[in-house]
Amino acid sequence: MAGLFSGKILRRRARATQTERVRERRHEGFLRYAGFRWAKISGGLCLLVIVSYALVDVQPRPNGGSWYGYTLGTIGALLILWLTALGYRKRRMTHDYWSLKAWTSAHVYLGLALIVIGTWHTGFQLGWNVHTLAWALMMLVILSGLYGVIVYATLPAALSNNRDQMTQMQMLEAIRAFDRQLHAAAQPLDAADTAPVLAALEEDPFAGGIRARLTGRYPRCATAAAHRALAAATGGEAEARAKVIALLTQKEAALARLRAHLRLRALLEVWLYVHVPLTFALIAALSAHIISVFFYW
Amino acid sequence: MSFILRRIATTKTGKQIVRDQPLDGDTITLGRDSGNAIHVADLAVNPQHATIVSADGRHVRVTAQAGLGFDLNGRTLDVADIDSAAGAELRFGGHRLTIAREGEAIVLLVERIDELSQSSKDVDEARAFSLAGVLPGKRVGAWTFALLVLLAFLVGPIWTWHSYRGVDERPQGFHADQAWLSGPLSSAHANLKGDCQSCHVEPFVAVTDKACVGCHTGEHKAMSQAHANAPSGMLLAARAPPGIGGRVLAGFAQAFNKPPGRCVDCHSEHEGAGPMPATPQKFCADCHDGMAARLKAAGFEATVADAADFGTGHPEFRPLVRTAPGAKPARAVLGQGAVADFDGLKFPHDLHLQANGGIARMAASFRGRYDFGTKLECANCHRPEADGVRIAPVKMERDCAMCHSLAFESVGGVTRTLRHGEPDQVVADLTAYYRSTPPVRPLQLGGMERRRPGGYAEGQVYNIYFRERAARPARAADAVRAVFSKGGACYDCHTVTPPAAGKSWRVEAVHQTPRFLGKGWFDHDAHKETACADCHTAAPRSKQASDLLVPGLSQCRDCHVGESGARLMKVETATASPCAMCHDYHSDGGKPWVPARQRRKPVIAVTGTESRALYAVSWRAPNAGGG
Repeated sequence: MAGLFSGKILRRRARATQTERVRERRHEGFLRYAGFRWAKISGGLCLLVIVSYALVDVQPRPNGGSWYGYTLGTIGALLILWLTALGYRKRRMTHDYWSLKAWTSAHVYLGLALIVIGTWHTGFQLGWNVHTLAWALMMLVILSGLYGVIVYATLPAALSNNRDQMTQMQMLEAIRAFDRQLHAAAQPLDAADTAPVLAALEEDPFAGGIRARLTGRYPRCATAAAHRALAAATGGEAEARAKVIALLTQKEAALARLRAHLRLRALLEVWLYVHVPLTFALIAALSAHIISVFFYW
Repeated sequence: MSFILRRIATTKTGKQIVRDQPLDGDTITLGRDSGNAIHVADLAVNPQHATIVSADGRHVRVTAQAGLGFDLNGRTLDVADIDSAAGAELRFGGHRLTIAREGEAIVLLVERIDELSQSSKDVDEARAFSLAGVLPGKRVGAWTFALLVLLAFLVGPIWTWHSYRGVDERPQGFHADQAWLSGPLSSAHANLKGDCQSCHVEPFVAVTDKACVGCHTGEHKAMSQAHANAPSGMLLAARAPPGIGGRVLAGFAQAFNKPPGRCVDCHSEHEGAGPMPATPQKFCADCHDGMAARLKAAGFEATVADAADFGTGHPEFRPLVRTAPGAKPARAVLGQGAVADFDGLKFPHDLHLQANGGIARMAASFRGRYDFGTKLECANCHRPEADGVRIAPVKMERDCAMCHSLAFESVGGVTRTLRHGEPDQVVADLTAYYRSTPPVRPLQLGGMERRRPGGYAEGQVYNIYFRERAARPARAADAVRAVFSKGGACYDCHTVTPPAAGKSWRVEAVHQTPRFLGKGWFDHDAHKETACADCHTAAPRSKQASDLLVPGLSQCRDCHVGESGARLMKVETATASPCAMCHDYHSDGGKPWVPARQRRKPVIAVTGTESRALYAVSWRAPNAGGG
């Protein structure tokens, strides 16, 4: 039995592990995986398509129904299905070939190559029909994916800087602590001054729609409003008010950090809300596109 | 009679500690201010919020001070009377006051029920910090979008197809399967836009010829005569073996049930609005390029030469000619020595086109009367047909008679001419003329003057006149002979047979070939900017009417190159010429069809000249001079 494992397989696996260690040390992400292997393959594929399109003289004019169009269409449709399979693949653990990094790298670069394959498949004949719908959905999916790649490459550093070694729950806990202190400090205030503080306490730090999440702007922030109101207030309990104002300032800072965090996370995640649903819309449109071609053959 | 204030505290381990504190008096105050009997540390509660009064130790009256009230059973009240035996729950801000009765005492239980602040509430970290709480789920979106797309673009169109199955014509308006339209229809079919089923009849069955001939009856219905007569084995053998692309396409076509050889193979639709594109050269060259060898290999006889591209591979023209006088027309090959075409006329083109000489002078003398210049031009005698495509056969009365006059007498200002084309009539007319008209009467015979005798002597005036008059009927035979013989009006242009064996004078029949190139098409109208002699190069030197002046392939190739510009010689202004420019597959007798935007636009400067009418024939006295 020992002989069975001491053979080629183990050596190969050991070599693969060694390569993987080197990659880990260099922080090689999915973009530069294996020396841009998939970028090169995809680039070559695009070049092949563009050059052959220019060389092949399709009569009476290039379109998806020529032999060249069928070839590109078949490649494109299969590619779309394979690219969609990343969603399945990433949920499955494997241990040797086709690491998720390799798969993601191929997903990104072949997905970008699909711009050329899909567009050249159309022969640049676009119109208001299901065929162009499939193309448009494909382009939206690819562009949203491209956005995803860009934010994955650029935003994590900003996320880390903003976090300042706190966890998400620690950020929230800081706000809770200020809320408790605010509640205690505001007890002596009169009714007019209490209301804005109460509103600040009632404010949900996770409130705000997708717009607020993406822009990080909360123009109706109750904490900021309370700060303004108390700063403008006069009469009675000035000492207590000053304390509350100081606490509100601190809460605002804590809220700003949390909101910056939420914004960065939203920017990192939002493309998936386009990418994934539109992928399924694309597969539906692609099915309609293919079936329609054969239905009205 | 007393109030008991009960407070419940919860330890970290979850254990509850209940503390009871009796309160003195019938009136108890509640508020945020620490001076109240019940002190509620809640910002949502006023410093002096409410008073709780019990007169009988059982019924309690709760009265809110100015401002905020309290909630009882979901309603906000300022005053409430409560029977403590029945119990009640009141709400002040984030706190709950429960009124109950235990023994003789009224128990007031105060506890915080709301969180201190919104942020203090429990959150699901994974959900709260992500977009999951803000946007509808990805899975929901995926299913919704996919379902909508399938409904609108798959189920809808198929439903439309199903509901109009077997219906001749769909009503106007929107139909769901229009979303499948892969490209605009050509202008001829534009009205079928909403009716996909007019062509796509059965699902998953490629458009059949049946759908085409449903509307295109008549000439369109059959293939061209040449192709329809060929056995299908021959047609198949003629096809060139496909290249890589062709094999891929054929593979697709075979795998998905798309038979070859249908109308739509050449007449492709959905290629954009506007006229349907002319059939490209490829569809002809697929077979005709190298066809003879393939046909021979398959055991068929090739009747036409190979043709691949007009610029580089096209056989020499084979015009229809009569190789001998009176022979049947047959196809000759150009470029292999002189080709004779006997049409029965005598006509030296060189003489008529000379820049000087008798004919040029005569033409010049007619300037102003006819549209002659200083010499004769082709257009002075040759006249195009009404559609401009071909040149009409020359007509004596119209095209020759302005010089070659057949006039022989003037009666009261009306010119009498010999009947052209009717030799027997000519003989009869001349005979009648000599019989009915006396010779011109000499002047000396006029008047009332008395004459001396002797006038009848030989050489004298009476003798000349009356002898002439006596002999006149016999002169008719001479005149007829003269007209039909060398130097006579007929003989100049026609081959004349003298009378023999009971037959009168005979003129050889004239056959002017209306169309020399029967398989191809030449449009003179499209070439009217070009001088005749540019193509009919042999005309100015031609001495015989039997010289064939039809231009050869090389003259065409001076301008015309292959569909994609292929050429064998230097061409200054190249005209790309696909097969369909001259050849018509369906050969319905009309011009080859060309999309409107490729048709030649009429050029004002050239079309400005009006075609001439029939020339007026007039009598000219023999001594009037001229010619």
